[in-house]
Amino acid sequence: MLRRLGILIAILGMTLNWTSAADAQAGDADSSEYLIKAGFIYNFAKFVEWPSAAFSQPDSPIVIGVIGTDPFGSVLDHIVEDKKIGPRGFVVKRFKGGKDLKDLKDCKILFVSASEKAHVDEILQSVKGLPILTVGETSGFAERGGVIRFTLEDNRVRFEVNVEAAHQADLNISSRLLTLARIIPQTAATGRNPG
Amino acid sequence: MRSIRKHSRGATTSAGRAMLAALAAALLAANSGAQSGQSVPDVTTLSMEDLMNMQVTSVSKRTQKVADAAAAVFVITQEDIRRSGATSIPEALRLVPGLEVARIDENKWAIASRGFNGRFDNKLLVLIDGRSVYTPLFSGVYWNVQDVMLEDIDRIEVIRGPGATLWGANAVNGVINIISKKAKDTQGGVVSAGAGTEERGSSSARYGSTIGNTAYRAYGKYFNWGPSLYSSGTTAHDGWDELRGGFRADWTPAGANSLTLQGDIYQSKYGETLTVPSLSAPYSSTFPNNGNYSGGNILGRWNHSSEGSSMSLQMYYDNTTIADNSLFVDHQNIFDMDFQQGFHVGDSQQFVWGLGYRSIRDRNDSSFSVSLQPNQVTLNHFSAFLQDEVSLVDNRLRLTFGSKFEHNDFTGFEVQPNARLLWTLTPNQSVWTAVSRAVRTPALTEEGLRLNSAVIPPATLTNPTPFPAVVTVFGSHQFQSEDLLAYELGYRVQVTSSLSADIATFYNNYSNLRTAEPGVPSLEGSPAPTDIVIPFFAANKMSGGTYGAELFADWKVIPKWRLVGSYSYLQMDIRKDSDSLDPTADNPNGSSPRHQWYVRSSIDLPMHFEDDTTLRFVDHLPSLNIPSYYSLDAHLGWRPVQLVEFSIGGQNLLNNQHLEFIPDFINTAPTVVKRTVYGSLTFRF
Repeated sequence: MLRRLGILIAILGMTLNWTSAADAQAGDADSSEYLIKAGFIYNFAKFVEWPSAAFSQPDSPIVIGVIGTDPFGSVLDHIVEDKKIGPRGFVVKRFKGGKDLKDLKDCKILFVSASEKAHVDEILQSVKGLPILTVGETSGFAERGGVIRFTLEDNRVRFEVNVEAAHQADLNISSRLLTLARIIPQTAATGRNPG
Repeated sequence: MRSIRKHSRGATTSAGRAMLAALAAALLAANSGAQSGQSVPDVTTLSMEDLMNMQVTSVSKRTQKVADAAAAVFVITQEDIRRSGATSIPEALRLVPGLEVARIDENKWAIASRGFNGRFDNKLLVLIDGRSVYTPLFSGVYWNVQDVMLEDIDRIEVIRGPGATLWGANAVNGVINIISKKAKDTQGGVVSAGAGTEERGSSSARYGSTIGNTAYRAYGKYFNWGPSLYSSGTTAHDGWDELRGGFRADWTPAGANSLTLQGDIYQSKYGETLTVPSLSAPYSSTFPNNGNYSGGNILGRWNHSSEGSSMSLQMYYDNTTIADNSLFVDHQNIFDMDFQQGFHVGDSQQFVWGLGYRSIRDRNDSSFSVSLQPNQVTLNHFSAFLQDEVSLVDNRLRLTFGSKFEHNDFTGFEVQPNARLLWTLTPNQSVWTAVSRAVRTPALTEEGLRLNSAVIPPATLTNPTPFPAVVTVFGSHQFQSEDLLAYELGYRVQVTSSLSADIATFYNNYSNLRTAEPGVPSLEGSPAPTDIVIPFFAANKMSGGTYGAELFADWKVIPKWRLVGSYSYLQMDIRKDSDSLDPTADNPNGSSPRHQWYVRSSIDLPMHFEDDTTLRFVDHLPSLNIPSYYSLDAHLGWRPVQLVEFSIGGQNLLNNQHLEFIPDFINTAPTVVKRTVYGSLTFRF
């Protein structure tokens, strides 16, 4: 009886394993973290208002730029694929990063990867005054003039908002988003630079 | 009876081999299997509040919101532990709604979920980073040596109710998972030192760093508790200390694999006041007794996760030595291997399955009062489980069903199925219900113990014979598993973004609970002097029902002020079967509180001060003659700069002292919980 059950379990195990092979995909060990963050980015698009002049057409897509090493893999593309906020769809673009900061101005949301830690100031400087929602995760990102920074607390994703930076980018952030955020004051050093 | 067991023991090895073969096959299939294909859950349907509640990772490497679990789950976070001022795991567990946490003396606790509390409570399974700390010796937990560097705990997940399908036998009334942070989240150093009125001194240090793809940490800690008081007011003999060290290393190369290696080593000395019977006048002696707990463990875990699936293989070795020289000496070596895999099947199903093997080697030395036969034994334990989670009706209704199948050397084959249903009424409200079966398998003691619990002097009213009469509890090979059939119903609501509430109710139907049935007295010639043995044998002649409810509410009044509250109710109706001759009272009923509640306020004050105040009420325990009590605990923390923290905490501030429990089986003197004050200073770098 026991022997038969053991064999049954063995066979079942193998069969199921083959089924799983079709569904499985090699990815980042912490893929769930960026799945959640992608969900947040989609929500940011819902709760942030860009100036109407920021879009050339009423149905121009919301361009999400990812600069530096992309931690999302294909997750972000899948999340926003076929999604619309009002008349606008989404486009995900990737930028190499480093010193190459051309073409960022088309973005409406710019995710600054942790790989760009050394270039955060340059990136933020290059989009200064443009209606771009900058999102980062390196420490001090919001203090240095980024609009939103993701943090992890107790294994949950949290975010900080620099309201001053949003204001300078002419972005209107919904209070629904602000009530969930930790509000970060811009540090005096960056604040002194005129926008 | 005996021969059936022998037979099944023979069959065990072939079942084990088949399982090992399946494990190897699974590993091979997995290595070749990670290929293309997509199944990304649609997170855009989730609100930001939902997203904020999502755990980045969980034990089974699955993203799951606590609000989505069809079980009574409660999570104690690192922040909760820090702000409560708790300095031990048992004290931190007092934050769990409905959990019964009672201190017997400075180094002993009785902790239970949903009734049946006792020092040797056997219905609560406890794991630290996937390593079971539930001892097969007496089916319970040595709470005094279940310790970690508290700063490195990520969270403590407590499931009230059965968790046997995933966790196996003995997860009858609850499962506690103590989960430590990954090494990459404990980089840098922490040095902490403290002193107080009871915990006289403690110090701990941890340092974490990274080499290449490997993050690691190492820690060491020491504490020393002074003695408490007997209820008479005189100083007791229950001080203790502990020295402990350990490490964790996580190797995460690029790609889908990661490896974890971790281990601990500890030594603890404790005191107690022990009463043991003897065969010569005055037939019992009470004396201060000292003992020693020591041990170590090492655990390795391989994880492979990709977007559609995850799997893990975990192995550990655990050594525990208990040297209570006047009573019992026990050496236990446990080797455990566990494989589990989870994956999506299509868009709507999530499948998890696993295999496990455990080997337990036990060696013990006996005394007059406690002895165990055989005094050297090896037990093998095999298990497998399957669980499927199906999403019905557009993700609004989720059905989880599965079963554990396991084999142990005492009762043979055990099947523990469950079915759970979660219905998401609105994005902010859900209802869940579950039916599960769980068993509590016999402990070594229930099979082969001899406990001389009392000696009745000769030529007295109760014993007119010329020989001393020894009242003895024997284990029995006839002892079977205790059974539970549990029905649960729960409701969760997120009223506003700042207010949430949770209610869990249950009806538990137990059968085959343990009794002690009298046998025929006999004369015993050796060792001298001659005595009469009045035997009681472990049997399964008690059954009945328990029901209750646990409520919890969490209200963020303003961003800087959080109020949480909990109330729990428990009604036990356990009766001996009509053929039971057990002369003791229906004892479990009165040893757990019927009502418990607490209210806790957490305030962030200006100047980086934090204040946490908790008022708790625990109902009386009628069968133990313990009155109800209130306890006011307060904690003040101050972080003038991020890297320095001062902490001062007081417990039981309302009264001088109260008694919380009376121990069962082993007659050690209970001591009171005094009003205590404790302060500490922590540096981070």
